[in-house]
Amino acid sequence: MVDVLMVVLGAAMVAALVHIAAILIIPLAATRDAFARLSPLGPVNATIALEQPGPQARLLPYRDPAVASAFCRFDLAGGPLRVKAPADGSGFVSLSFHTRRGGIFYAITDKAATHGVLEALVVTEKQLRALEAKDDEDTPVQDLRVVSTAEEGFVMMRALSEEPSLYPRAEAQARALACANEAIPP
Amino acid sequence: MDTLIKALLACVIGLVVGLWATVLSLRNARGFDAATIGPWTVSEKAGAVDADPYTRAAMERSGEIPLALGEGLQFIARADDSGAALNPRCAYLVGRATPPTRYWTLSLVDPQGFPVENPTRRYGFRSSEILRGADGGFVIAVSANAHAGNWLPIGSNGRFALALRLYDSPLGATAGAIEKDAMPRIVRESCS
Repeated sequence: MVDVLMVVLGAAMVAALVHIAAILIIPLAATRDAFARLSPLGPVNATIALEQPGPQARLLPYRDPAVASAFCRFDLAGGPLRVKAPADGSGFVSLSFHTRRGGIFYAITDKAATHGVLEALVVTEKQLRALEAKDDEDTPVQDLRVVSTAEEGFVMMRALSEEPSLYPRAEAQARALACANEAIPP
Repeated sequence: MDTLIKALLACVIGLVVGLWATVLSLRNARGFDAATIGPWTVSEKAGAVDADPYTRAAMERSGEIPLALGEGLQFIARADDSGAALNPRCAYLVGRATPPTRYWTLSLVDPQGFPVENPTRRYGFRSSEILRGADGGFVIAVSANAHAGNWLPIGSNGRFALALRLYDSPLGATAGAIEKDAMPRIVRESCS
C-alpha cells in the first residue's frame, strides 16, 4: 500500500515537472510557429501575399476570410528596415510588427497614415542610438522609429475588404507592402 | 518491490501523464490571460511579448498570427448562450449588436481555426455588408439549411466555433471588462 502511494506521488511530481518543462520548451523549439511557416514562402524583405483564407488554405489558422494579408520577413543585421504601405483611408488597413518568436512589438492602422501612406523604420536599440547621434537638433525627426527587440522578425499587412467583390482590391493593397533595409547615414 | 523499479515506474508514468496533460492543455488552448464574456473568450495578450507560457506554447503549435491590440480583438465562441457546445445539427441566431468598433466580422471555423467548406462559399459576414433591421441591429442565422437574410452555413457535421473580430475597436486592453449584453447573443433555435 505504502509502495503504491510512493509510486503515485513520485509519478505526480515527475508529471508536473515534465508538463512545466514542455510548456516552457515548446516556444523555444519553434518548429511550427508562424515564422517557421512563413519562412519557406520567400526570401527576406520580399513582400509575399498570403492565399485568400478558405477551407483549402491550411498554412495559418484563424485568418479572417474578409481580410487580405501579405508579409515580409526582415533581418535588421543588414541595417534598419523601411516599411511602406498604402492606406488611402477607404477601409481598414493595419501593419503589425512581430519578432521571430512571435511577440508583437508594434502595430499601426490606417488611422495613423499620413498622405495615404503608412511608413515606419524598424530599428534595433543599437541602430536607434546610432541614428539619434546623427539627428540634427533643429529639424524634427520625420520617421516613425520602431524599436524591435529582436534582429529577425516579420511585418504583417492586413487589408479588410468591405464586401466579397472588393477582396481583389484589398489583396492588391496588401501586395503593395514594401520592405527594404537601408543604411544608417554616415 | 525494489526501489529502482518503483522509481522507474514513477518516472515512466510521470512522463506519460505530464506529456498527456501538455497536449490536453494546448488543445483547449486558453492561457491564464484569456477572459470569458458569456460564451465568448478573448485573449488580450495573445500576441504580446509578455503573454503567459500557455498562450505562447499554444500559439507556437497552432501557428496563428494573432491580432495586435492596436489592430483589433478576436473573440471565439464554442458554445451557445446556454453553455451547450455548438452543434452542427442545430440552428442558431446570432445578434443583434457588437461592442463599439469601426468594422467587425463574424465567421465560422472548425476546431483548428479554418473556414468550413460549404456550397455557397460563405465563410463569414462583415459589418459593412450585413443586412440590418430598422433599428440597426442584425441577425445572422447559423444553420446547415438555407435561411433567409444573413445565412452563415454550417458546412460539415464536425464541431465548429464562431469567431468575432473587432477591427479598430476602442476597447483594446479593456476587452475583458465588456458586458455580456454588449456581445452578440448566440441563441439555439431548433435541432434536427
